[in-house]
Amino acid sequence: MIIEILQQMLNGLAIGSVYTVIALGLTVVFGILGIAHFAHGSVAMSGGYLTFLFGERLAIGFFPAMALAMLVGAVIGLLIERLAYRPVRDAPHINAFIIALGLTMMVEGINLLAFGADQVVIQTPYRGVFNVGGVAVAELRLLVILTACTLIGVVALLISRTKTGKSIRAVAQNRPAAVLMGINVNRVSAIVFSVSSALGAAAGALVGALLAIAPGVGEGLAVKGFAVLILGGLGSIPGAIVGGLVLGVSESLAAGFISSAYKDVIAFMVMIVVLLFRPEGLLGKR
Amino acid sequence: MSLPTVRAIGLAVLVLAALALPLGVTLPYFQHLVILALIWVVLSQGQNLIQGFTGYVSIAQAGFMGIGAYSSTLLSVKLGWPVWLAMAAAPGVTAALAVLAGYPSLRVKGHYFAIVTLAYNMVIFIVLMTWSSLTGGEAGISNVPRPPDIAIGGLVWDLDSRVGYYYLALASAALATLLCALILHSRVGRVLVAIRQNEALIEAAGVQSWRYKLLAFVVSAGLAGLAGALYAHFIGFLNPDAFGVDHSLNAILAVILGGSGTLSGPVVGAFAVVFLPEYLRVAENYRLVIYGFILVTATIFMPRGLVPLVASGLRALAARLRREPG
Repeated sequence: MIIEILQQMLNGLAIGSVYTVIALGLTVVFGILGIAHFAHGSVAMSGGYLTFLFGERLAIGFFPAMALAMLVGAVIGLLIERLAYRPVRDAPHINAFIIALGLTMMVEGINLLAFGADQVVIQTPYRGVFNVGGVAVAELRLLVILTACTLIGVVALLISRTKTGKSIRAVAQNRPAAVLMGINVNRVSAIVFSVSSALGAAAGALVGALLAIAPGVGEGLAVKGFAVLILGGLGSIPGAIVGGLVLGVSESLAAGFISSAYKDVIAFMVMIVVLLFRPEGLLGKR
Repeated sequence: MSLPTVRAIGLAVLVLAALALPLGVTLPYFQHLVILALIWVVLSQGQNLIQGFTGYVSIAQAGFMGIGAYSSTLLSVKLGWPVWLAMAAAPGVTAALAVLAGYPSLRVKGHYFAIVTLAYNMVIFIVLMTWSSLTGGEAGISNVPRPPDIAIGGLVWDLDSRVGYYYLALASAALATLLCALILHSRVGRVLVAIRQNEALIEAAGVQSWRYKLLAFVVSAGLAGLAGALYAHFIGFLNPDAFGVDHSLNAILAVILGGSGTLSGPVVGAFAVVFLPEYLRVAENYRLVIYGFILVTATIFMPRGLVPLVASGLRALAARLRREPG
């Protein structure tokens, strides 16, 4: 029983770290630009498909393929920001959200046209399994957690330590004041979107290696990403980490002990219960 | 002629045209589409109430439509309720569920509300797919009965015929529109619009906004439930495919395209959303991309929708005609 619980928790940590990466991409865009970038999950799926494609066609291994997909993801993010979101920057927030829904349909449609409706699983050479006190620790799951930690660390450093990060934080705190200080808001939002979409593409690749990618998975991922933000409290990177792990682990335990068909239902119930009792999130300030 | 007279005449012409439509449109295919569009009018009016008036985008409309469709079907097929009673109960069941769902979700604002409602839609879809002992799962339920005929004196209203069902759908669409008009012109409606414009201000003025938001959400879901019941008994076959998230997105598109926060907008939007794919048949694979593109460009270039755009165009034309008589 204990072993089984530990096993499910470990599986949950792996998928939860992917949710954290998704949520991180969403939280930088939301916290800094106030846009609920719902198409993020579908962009992540594009990243997964591209990783699969690069890995197959160029035969360059999983991580180089993922890096390439992240580059393409960054470009997609730039285009989305420039063509879709910037024209409505001064309109009511609801407009940007509806654009996000439209973009979701477009990106999902493009994925469907370009990569077909079949489920895709990205094959990796990391098939080893270690036995730690009866718990099976898959090499791939460890690598996924490590990759997620690296990505989160890099983004946290970018935001907290660099000059660009300083201007990003300034825009998040007070956009008019940041403009008066000579910060180019267009440049900042372009950077934020490309970083966010590159993160999304990486998360898509990890999902593709860990589970599978298929049409419709992206929307689910975006909802999970926002669920993580609701769990963790908005705009906080520690909140995103805690939220992601809580969501991943509870989903995994639910799949193992209650019903795998209803695991998403249970994950969303956790979110709703948190909303009822702590609407500001687990780590949010009252 | 003054503007109100023009409006009254326009409305009368529209009502007459709607009543006489089956005389002119005899092709079953078009009658079928018009009935679907009218069902979508009910759905979109509900969506407009929460999205257009109140300014809270709910992405659960298709899910609530599913609740209505399944509750009416299950009540009539499994419990043997009379079809009319089951159809009348469906909006009530849906609204009751919406009270439960709305309470936690309305504790969060704006985008978060949208995400939570989207999670509801996903939950509803998963349950409909998975609980197959009740819903039949993906294989669905076939032979959902039509409501029985109504005979008043010598007149028989035959709901098995397409024309008969057309009038039921028309009456429902008119009722939904009328309900929204009544709400809009009441104190509740003014509070809802005020919530959209400045929620903090209206709360500061002492209005408990969450009650109004919950009311809008519940009425909106009730209309979706009605649309679901109409849909299930019209098509006669029910499976969860029609109630996925993409259909909720279509309801949002209908409201934006027609004109969010107007009464006629959702009508125009519903017809557009039902008829557009029929004409885009050639590009079936591209439908999602095209719909998304329309949604994005419409939001950027005509955020107020088709109806206000055409209305302001006509008004400008009328003003010009008045300035240059003859």
